[in-house]
Amino acid sequence: MSVRRDEPPAETTGVARPYDEMRLAAGGVHPHYAALDARLATLTPQELAERQRTQERFFLLQGITFTVYGAESTTERIIPSDILPRIIPGAEWSRVEAGLIQRLRALNMFLADIYSEQQILMDGVVPRELVLNAPSYRREMQNLYVPYKAYANVCGSDLIRQPDGEFAVLEDNLRVPSGVSYMLANREASRRVFPGTFRSAGVRAIDRYPDLLLATLKSMAADWRPNPQVVVLTPGVYNSAYYEHAYLARLMGAPLVEGRDLVIHDNMVYMRTTTGLRRVDVIYRRVDDDFIDPLTFRRDSSLGVAGLFNAYRAGNVMICNAPGTGVADDKAVYAYVPEIIRYYLNEDAILPNIETYLCREPAQLSHVLANLDKFVVKAVGASGGYGMLVGPHSTKAQQEEFAAALRADPANYIAQPTIQLSTAPCLIDGEVEARHVDLRPFILSGEKIVVTPGALTRVALRKGSLVVNSSQGGGSKDTWVLSESKGEPR
Amino acid sequence: MMLARVADSLYWIGRYVERAEHNCRLSDVMLNATLDRSEAATQVARIALAAVGDADLAKAQNPYDAARALTLDRQDSASIYSSIAHARENARQVRDQITTETWERLNLIYLRMSDPDAARAFGDGSQQFLHDTIADLHLFKGAGDATMSHGEGWSFLLLGVYLERAQLIGSLLEVVFGDGRRRRPVGDHFALTSVLRMGCALEPYLRVYTADMQPRYILNFLMLDADFPRSIRFCTQEIENHLAAITRHAGLSGAAGPERLAGRLRARLQYIDMEELVAQGPTAFLKTVLDECAAIHDSLYDAFVAYPLESRLPA
Repeated sequence: MSVRRDEPPAETTGVARPYDEMRLAAGGVHPHYAALDARLATLTPQELAERQRTQERFFLLQGITFTVYGAESTTERIIPSDILPRIIPGAEWSRVEAGLIQRLRALNMFLADIYSEQQILMDGVVPRELVLNAPSYRREMQNLYVPYKAYANVCGSDLIRQPDGEFAVLEDNLRVPSGVSYMLANREASRRVFPGTFRSAGVRAIDRYPDLLLATLKSMAADWRPNPQVVVLTPGVYNSAYYEHAYLARLMGAPLVEGRDLVIHDNMVYMRTTTGLRRVDVIYRRVDDDFIDPLTFRRDSSLGVAGLFNAYRAGNVMICNAPGTGVADDKAVYAYVPEIIRYYLNEDAILPNIETYLCREPAQLSHVLANLDKFVVKAVGASGGYGMLVGPHSTKAQQEEFAAALRADPANYIAQPTIQLSTAPCLIDGEVEARHVDLRPFILSGEKIVVTPGALTRVALRKGSLVVNSSQGGGSKDTWVLSESKGEPR
Repeated sequence: MMLARVADSLYWIGRYVERAEHNCRLSDVMLNATLDRSEAATQVARIALAAVGDADLAKAQNPYDAARALTLDRQDSASIYSSIAHARENARQVRDQITTETWERLNLIYLRMSDPDAARAFGDGSQQFLHDTIADLHLFKGAGDATMSHGEGWSFLLLGVYLERAQLIGSLLEVVFGDGRRRRPVGDHFALTSVLRMGCALEPYLRVYTADMQPRYILNFLMLDADFPRSIRFCTQEIENHLAAITRHAGLSGAAGPERLAGRLRARLQYIDMEELVAQGPTAFLKTVLDECAAIHDSLYDAFVAYPLESRLPA
């Protein structure tokens, strides 16, 4: 038995030790990890490595890959998937679930408000210019009816576990969140890798996601269209999330369309089929706002359909998520979400935010500039781990570069203290080691809001790294949410 | 009902896998010939190269290199590698339409072909490599047959397979029996069996005609046999059936152009007089067959894929 039991990496001084998902500080493991820990103790590193290979093979065969375009050759790679599941006890999940539902309900109400009466802006709860000047704000959406105020039909929020063990929201994702196919594929794979442990653990099922997604999308269709035609709109096979688009379309039984398959006539949307044109009612679009309609948004886009937005305005088709939802996951608006929840729901936020400094405020800017080496600074409009400075891991030169950018355009930046993401055991080169992880659950909202009891756990595979994005060396692993009665301290 | 683009992709998957399989067989026969007498090998290699449309017959002097290029050359759009890559790319674009079982088979072939070690694997055992690829292509078709719905999409896929097959066998027969050949007629026993192998027809032929290798029997078998799945006549029967299924699904029965073309082509092959064909030489007839296959392809596009929108807008 030579599995190494490493101490979690503690390279960053002056920051609290990260929470360990499996191990207790006093020794031993959390009760909900006991079964997995016992199973791991019976496996040799060779057996573990063999299982890891089997899993990678599964991903490769399924074509769960992303394409890397190189100078000489184009290769397809799998997104690294770690075989050790991350486990969340039932009671803890209930709280997360309640918090996510509350948050999305409030954000949908916020979107409905800013795209109609703008009461919240008049009451001064959120600064008017912050919302109206956000690049993701779409004035085209003003006064447009959205059923159930369900603007963000699919939301993927990024949660992290703070050193004290509490989950907090790091980021909301209300545009076209991706990753759900990895959640499902990881589950398919991990059931094979640890079948016995899986069976006895009481893991809640996530396989209804496609079915719930379809129901959510159908609930958005107009009442007078009794059997609505739902389609998935993809930018095409060269998009890095193409696998996911095809996967969801296949599991929902909905056609996977590209912009060129759609035709607008008389403000109605049709798809070109072998039997002629067929009316489309709901479009689950995986194309960004900017690209869905060259007539309304970016004119150089060839991914969308000319006239789509007018058909939407006319109420003849539903676009899901609604255009303009990005304003609610704007990194500056994020800071106001607890207020937004209080304003609409008269409740305290169940899931806390990470403390956030808005560089647009001069006092906060100077505090950030004075402590650049301690903060994570993010550009408001960027995503995917780009345009970001991780203070404690940065060089003096990078800090100076960011300081200049901050002074030049302070409103474009926010800063947050460097959070030690929690760590979970991962299989690294045949050894079990701790790596930082986050958590992306998926929330669906249509007629009602549902949270799938599972999530994508993203892993920063590089030792000590806090960046979990797949574009920057991140991987993923399955997330086991246990049923209420399981995995509680006895 | 399915997306026109999807139907198009499924059709091309069918064409590309059929092309890959046929070229595997040509490569295999070429390699097999290198083991025997070299003069016959050159002739066989020349036939194979001409059948894939390679004008550079000098390559026939070195059948091994020719076979390797035909298999693995990534620059050559006619190579087996390219056909597999195209088939898989099309499959990726309609990944939601084909079952996981079917996809896995095709993806597996692609992964082996695109592996950096593919050239070494080919060098170590060329015929094994080709044999495995053909076997996996059969598994792909079998998996599709066993797991996919035999509806419109399946018919488009098989339409691609049979149209491609009819054209490939047609081109092969043109090379072997047409007037265009400048060399001496193919009469050698070894060359004739090689031709049958290229059409995967040796064993079925033997059951019908015994080991009596006669050019006119071979022509008759590969062109007009009613039951052999690689004869042109059999292909045209399948083309007609699948087109009928597609037009039925589309509610266009009797109205679509390709059905009429396919019916006429099938009738041509069903009712042709063999004596007459041999008397006047098969060249003109094969040309008609190939032209009509191309016409079916065009009319298929006009009817189901690239139809003018104006004609289909709701009133």
